[in-house]
Parts: sequence; C-alpha cells; structure tokens
Amino acid sequence: MTELLLQALYSGLLQGGAYALIALGLALVFGTMKIINLAHGELVLMAAYVAYAAESALGWHPLAAIVLALPATGLTAAGMHWTVSRIRADREINSLLLTFGFAVVLTNGFLMLWSADVHSTSSAWLQDALVLGPLYSMHSEALSFAISLALLAGLWWWLARSWHGRALRAVAANRDCAMLMGIAPGRTELLSFVLAGALAAFAGVALYCHGVIQPALGGALTVKAFIITVLAGLGSIPGVLAAAILLGICEALTVTLASSALQELTGMVLFLVVLFVLPNGLFGTARRRG
Amino acid sequence: MALRNHSGVIASLAALAALLLAWGGNPYIMSITIAALMTGGVALAWALLGNLGGMVSFGHAAFVGAGAYVSALCTLRLGVPVPVGIVLGALGAALSAIVMLPALRLRGPYFALAILAYAHIFRIAATEWTSVTRGAAGLSAIPALPVLPGLDAKASACLLAGLLVLGFALAYRAIRASHAGLALRAMHDSEDATRVLGVNSTLLKGLMLLVSSAMAGAIGAFNAHYIGFLEPDYAFGAMWVTLPIVAAIFGGYRTLAGPVIGALVVSLADQLLFKEWLPIGHQFLLGVLLVAMILAHPSGLLPLAGNVLRRLRPGGNGKGGGHA
Amino acid sequence: MIQRRDFHRPVRRAALAAALAASCLSLAPAFAAEFLVGAELPLTGALARVGNGMHEGVHVAAEVFNKANGRHKIRLVSIDDESTPAKAIAAVEKLASQGVLAITGGYGSNNIAPAAEAANRLNLVYMTSGGVDDSLVSAGRKNFFRINNTAGYERAVLGLIGDMGAKSVSIVYSTKDATTDLALSVQKALAASGVRAEAHSFDPAITDFKPVINKIRLQDRPDVILMAGYENDYVGILRAARVLKPPVKAMVGVWSLATPKMAAEFPDLMPHVYGTALLPFPATFETADGKAFSDAYRQLYRKEADYLGQFGYVQGMLLFEAIARAFDKGTLAKGGIADELRKTDRDTLIGRVQFAANGDNPHFVHRMGQHQDKKIVIVWPKQYATGPKVYPGVPW
Repeated sequence: MTELLLQALYSGLLQGGAYALIALGLALVFGTMKIINLAHGELVLMAAYVAYAAESALGWHPLAAIVLALPATGLTAAGMHWTVSRIRADREINSLLLTFGFAVVLTNGFLMLWSADVHSTSSAWLQDALVLGPLYSMHSEALSFAISLALLAGLWWWLARSWHGRALRAVAANRDCAMLMGIAPGRTELLSFVLAGALAAFAGVALYCHGVIQPALGGALTVKAFIITVLAGLGSIPGVLAAAILLGICEALTVTLASSALQELTGMVLFLVVLFVLPNGLFGTARRRG
Repeated sequence: MALRNHSGVIASLAALAALLLAWGGNPYIMSITIAALMTGGVALAWALLGNLGGMVSFGHAAFVGAGAYVSALCTLRLGVPVPVGIVLGALGAALSAIVMLPALRLRGPYFALAILAYAHIFRIAATEWTSVTRGAAGLSAIPALPVLPGLDAKASACLLAGLLVLGFALAYRAIRASHAGLALRAMHDSEDATRVLGVNSTLLKGLMLLVSSAMAGAIGAFNAHYIGFLEPDYAFGAMWVTLPIVAAIFGGYRTLAGPVIGALVVSLADQLLFKEWLPIGHQFLLGVLLVAMILAHPSGLLPLAGNVLRRLRPGGNGKGGGHA
Repeated sequence: MIQRRDFHRPVRRAALAAALAASCLSLAPAFAAEFLVGAELPLTGALARVGNGMHEGVHVAAEVFNKANGRHKIRLVSIDDESTPAKAIAAVEKLASQGVLAITGGYGSNNIAPAAEAANRLNLVYMTSGGVDDSLVSAGRKNFFRINNTAGYERAVLGLIGDMGAKSVSIVYSTKDATTDLALSVQKALAASGVRAEAHSFDPAITDFKPVINKIRLQDRPDVILMAGYENDYVGILRAARVLKPPVKAMVGVWSLATPKMAAEFPDLMPHVYGTALLPFPATFETADGKAFSDAYRQLYRKEADYLGQFGYVQGMLLFEAIARAFDKGTLAKGGIADELRKTDRDTLIGRVQFAANGDNPHFVHRMGQHQDKKIVIVWPKQYATGPKVYPGVPW
C-alpha cells in the first residue's frame, strides 16, 4: 500500500508540474489584464502540433521543435492581444466571448490541417523509464517537470527584478496609476500576452513528448489551466505551482484509492471546494469588489 | 403601446405558421428548425441569466442534461405522461440549481466556470450511477412527444418547440417588466447602491438562476423526448454551451428576440451554408463569425439590424428592436 | 388546420424506380443505371477519426464496384452527422429528400439508434459497421443491417485468452459505452470459466495511467492485461506499463490497436501487443476481392487500409451488390434491397456474412493480431492465422 501511495504522490507531483506549465500563461494574462484567454489551451496545442509536424515531416527531435513553436505561438498570442485591445465596451464578457471564438477557430483549424488522428512522440528515450528507488516515471515527464520549475523560477525572478517585469506587476495592480508612472500599459499588456504564448510553446512541446494530442484537447487544457489559476489565486506565481501540484496529487490519490473513473471529478470538486471556502484562492490577495 | 406589446407575439406566431405551411412536410427542414429552436431556448435562458442575473455561465449544459434525465426517467420508469415529464424536468433542473446557489457570490469568470464544473460533475455522476441512468449506455426508447392533431410528428414537434420558446420569451419579458426586473437592472449598474436601497440582491439573483435553469431544463427534456435517446456525453455535451452562447451573442444578448433570432440564423447558416463550404471543420466559420461579431458589433445582429433600419427610415420613431 | 404532406419523396423514388424499370424494358439488356446511395457518418466531432475511416472504406467500395460492374454505377452522397444524434436524424432525412436508395454509415450506438429509427420510418435500408450494441438489433427495425457486433469481439478476445491459458486477467476499460459493455461482458465470461478477472474503469480524459497500472502490478498480479479503450488510451496504458514493467505475460487490446498506424508511429510501445485485426500487415490477400480492395485503397488514399476502411468496404460492397440485384429483379421499389440483403451469404474480408431476421450478422467473429517486428500477424483463430503468437511477450 505504501508503495502505491508513494508512486501516486510522485506521479501527481510530476503531473502537477506539467499542469503548472500549462496554467502559467493563462494566470499571467489573467493577472495582468483581468482577462481569461479561453484560447490558451489551443495555443498550447498549437505548439504540440508544431512539434508533431517537426518530428514527422522534418525528422527533428521534438524538443528541438521549440525553436519553431515559439514564433508560432508568440505571433498568434500577439494577434489575440491586438483583437482583444480593440474591444471598447464590456471588456470582461466580450473578451471571454472573443477568445472563445478564437478557441473554436483554432480547434477546427487543427482538425482541418491534421485530421482527428491522435499523435505523440515516437522518440524512445523520452518514453523510457526513469527509476528512482520505488518511484517510476518517463524521462519526458521528469524533463517536463524540470523545465516547468526552471521557467517558473525564471518568470518569478523576472517579475521581481527586471524593469519590464515590475512594469507588468504595476499594470496588474493598477492600470491608471501605472500610466501615470510612465508605463505604457498597452505595450505591457502585449508583452504579457506574448509571454503567455511563449510559455504555452514550452508547455505544448512538453505535452507532445509525454502525452497524446488531438484537436479536441484544447478545451480540456484551458479548463484545467483555469481551475489551477483560480485555485492559486490572483497574482501569485508560486501559487500556480502549488495549486497545480495539489491538483495533480489529488487526482493521483483519487485514482489509487478510489477509481480512475473519478479522476476528472477530483479537479471539479476541488475547484468548487476552494472557491466556496477561499474565494480568493489559496494564495491570492483579497481584492476589493467594484 | 398595447399593439407594440403584442406585435412581437403576433409576428412570431405568423412566422411559425408560415414556416409550417411552407415546409411542414419536409422532415429535413423541420429537423434543423427544431434543433435551432432548441439552441434558441437555451440561448434565451442563458441571456436571461446574464442580463437579469448579471452572471455569465459556461455550464448551462448542466441544466439541459439534468432536465433531460429527470424527464426521461420519470416517463420511462414511472409512466408519467410526457408533458408532465417535461415540467418535472424543468423542476429537476431548478432543483439542481439550488445546489449551485453558493456559487452566486462568485464574480464573473469564477461563476462561469463554477457552473462548468457542475456540468462536468453531473456528467460523471450520470455515467457512474448506472443503476438509475444505465450509465454510458444511456436511455433508449424514451416516450415521444404528443402529436398535435392534423399534423405529422415532425411538424407537430416543430410547432410545440416554437410555442415553448415563445412562452419562455414572454416569461422573460414579464419578469423584465416587473418590479423584480427593475431591481435587477438597477443591480446591474451598481450592486452596492441597490443593496443600500434594501433590495435583496442575492435572493433576486438566486431566483433568476432558478428560472434560467428551469427553462434550460425544459428544453433538455423536450429534446430528449424528441430524439428518443439520451446518454451522458450528449446530455451534458459542450454543444449545449457553445452554440447557445454564439447564438445569443450573434443575435444580441441584451435583446429579447436576439438570442432566438441568433440561434435560427447561426444554426441554419451552419447547416445549410457552412457545412457545404467546409464539410470538415465547418464550425471554423462559426468561430470566425463570432470573432467578427464581437469585434464589429458586440451588441449583436438585432440591434445592428435596428440601426440599419433606423437609418433607412429618417422620419420614423426609433423602433430599433427592444433592448434591456 | 395545417395539413401538408410532402409527396415529393416517395413519389420521386417511385418515379426513379419506374423510370429505371421502364428504360430497362425499352433499351438493350445491358442497361446502365446510376444508384444514389447515402452515407451519413461522423466526419467531425468526437467520432471524427473512426467516421472518416469508415467513409474511406465505403468510398473504396463504390470505386471497386463501379469498376467491376460494367453496367451499374453507384454514386455516393455523404453527410456529416457531427457525432450527434440530432444531426444524424437530420442527415438521414436530408439524404431521403435527395432520393437515395439506401443509407450506410453511422458510428456509435447512440447516434445510430435514432438515425436507424428515422431511416426505418422512411423505409430506407440502413447498413452499418459502427454499432455493436445489442439494443440496435432488438428494436424490431426491419430495415436495419449490420456486419459486426460486440459478441464477435468478445469471442475473439476470449478465444485468444483461452488459448494462452491465462489464470488471471486484469481489465482496464474506458467508461465509454462500447468499451464498458465489452469489458464487463468479458469479465463475466472469464469468471464463469474459472479465470480470475479484475476490472478497472477509467475516465476517457485520463492521460497518466501509472497509478492504475501500478495498482494492477502490486495488487492484482495478473497473467494478462486486457485493455478496452481507444488509441490515446492504449498509448497511455502501454507507456505506463513500459515504465512500471508489471510481470505480465501479454498485453491485449481490442479495436484500433493492431493497426499499421500504431506499428509505424509507436514502434517502442507495440512489440508483442495483441489487438483485433482483420488482416495481417503487410496485408496478403488470397481473394481477388481483397486484392481489388487493397489496390483501390492505396490508389485513392495513398496509405494502407486499417480495420475501419475494411469494415466500411464490406458494408458498402454488400449494400451495393444487393441494390444491383434488386434492380435487376425489378424489386427496388418494393423493399427489394432488404430482401436481397437477407438472401446474402458471402465470404468477405471479414469472413462469412449473412443477415438474420433482426439484421445482425450471426457469423461475425473478429480475429486477433499481434505486433511482431513492426508487422502484424494474425494469431487467432487458427483458420485465419498467418503465424504463431509469441507468448509470453511484452513491449519491454
């Protein structure tokens, strides 16, 4: 039993790291612009498909595909920002609906380009086992976790130390004041979108390496990312990692102790419980209403 | 004034009659119209919650599915007649919304996704509770809708669907015009101010959630009896979320007729046009349509049409479609 | 009172039949007729992958039929049912209004049931290979026909496991309808024959199977792991098994596993894995029918056919041949297609096919293939086997 539990915790940890990478971009944009990008999952999926195209058509190692994925998602994200900034009235709901429309466009775009077939990497090393005592995982999962930690740490440092990072936090805290301080909010928001796109690129390539992709996956990714963003609470990067790992571990424990049929239920129930008990998320700062 | 009140109803009934006269015997046109009306009904329920309750929901599929299952099970297992079943379905959906009342204090996107979480939970519950719902295998041979005399089954179903949606629209209008509606609209602008005036905003929002869910549940129940089959993935499917939202936004979600007109236009355009142009991935065009609409004219098709009409009639009174 | 009957449809079909019959009498015996056949299947939505596969097979059947039969031509009209029952019904009705003689296609019992119901009401034959649920043939529809069923899959899986002499089996299955049906049925049958069978269900959205495989490895300790799911599930399960290395003697799956695509895309996950397969890969065809199929498929789609295309081909071909026979006998307008189908007794790519009174194919038994050296070898039943199975054998 302990062996089962240990493996469940370990699996959950690694899966949580992967989730965190997917959620990070969404959390960043949400924190900065108070906008949920409902097409974020599709950005991640785009990068995954780029990795697939690189591996199958060009014969590259999927990890090398990040070079192609970054411009792809970055440009798409910039495009999304441009359209979102065109919205004049009711930004909260209209941006939700606009990005929702993008999600539908992208999902069907993938369907038309790559058909409904499922794909994943065929690289042997990525699928081989990494055994640490009684704990098992695939190389790709451990690598994904490491990349996730590295990017999270990098982002956290950047937000705390660099000028642009602090400008981003300023805009997130109070847009008008930031403008008074000489920060161009439009450009900062564009930066946050592009950054989210870049993070999505890493998440997508990692997803292709350890998971199976198909066009319909985008929506599920967005929902997961949003659940984690809410769990974490606004404005907390380490919170995203903690929330993601919490979700991963809860899912793995549900599967081990109860049944795999209930794994998705865990996320939903956890989401609701946290929302009702801690409306600001686990680590979020309380916001004034209105 | 009285004529204006009834003009919408008369126009709708006339349109319905015309449709049945022209294509009542064509099962294909009837099929897609019924599907469009189903979407329109849910779109109306969604818009009601958004306008009067001030809450955007991404999980109306929860209510549609709940209503469908309650009605199907009552008619199949308990032998209840279908019209009663549909009412029970609406009540069942409203009951399921009671479970969601704690979510009312959540803001914007949090509420939207909380309802989505409920939809997922309901779906999994329907899949796992095999003793009652027969799980993933679903329910089959669900009793059919009663057939109106003088019409064939399809045309009768279309007429009933049209009347159901019209009924909902009238109810929506009545609520909006009532004291509660006034309070809710005031709340929309400033919740704090209305609170100060002694309006119990939470109670009103809760009532709107119940009304919206009951409507969606009734549609789900109607649809279950029309199709005759039901299973968890279909009952709680994402299509009950996506299409109504696209329809409502497209038609103008702040107007009364917008969601239904939007549903008709979008459904028919999707089935008759987009599917021909892009057999695989035709929803791509639907997404493009939504994006274009939000960017160009966020208030939707109906107000746009109203503006155009107003500009064509320089001397007329501003009759550009009802608005909230 | 609104009263409107659309006389177009039945009149149009009768007119077509009459015209064909009339021209048959007035012209030379070798009269060429064109038959409109409808295909309603999921080209988008959740079942897009399998729907497109079936569509390809039906298309190939039309090509081969038209080339082989000098006189008659089949023209296919395809409509996407978007994997939903409402659109499936609408598709059937639209095809009927276009004057099709019969309908083929459909995937997923929940979409087929309402579509078959609609077709039945319109007196159109509905032929499918995508609905294995028993309820489809017990609803009393005179115009419903299918070439495969759950029992055939079960028999294949149970036959293989019986051959292996396994004492305990762990079944991992997706909570979707078809996989649940199969898994629980197989579990019951195994238990009845004295084999210990544990069943573990999983939500279709799961991607990490390590927790459930670990449970099986540490608690069940079976001889064989049986997987009932879809392609993404198999990849996930096999990856988890490859990492955890449970001491099992075989990994057995059902549909979508023993395919050339899986062999090509996941060469490290497939060695010695079993799945249902109609033909070995590289495919060897004994019959002229099979050769024609393979050549046409490769020509049209530039890839190897998989089981979806093969089933689609058989369902299409049988339907087209029945239509041609009914036309020649002049019984098209009088339910001739259904009659000819009930008289069918033919050997096909999937074995012998006959249609019982309820439309089911009682002879359907699937075959089990095993991935060996990037090829697929049929290992069960003996009369179709192209090689011995490698047992014990796992991908790690």
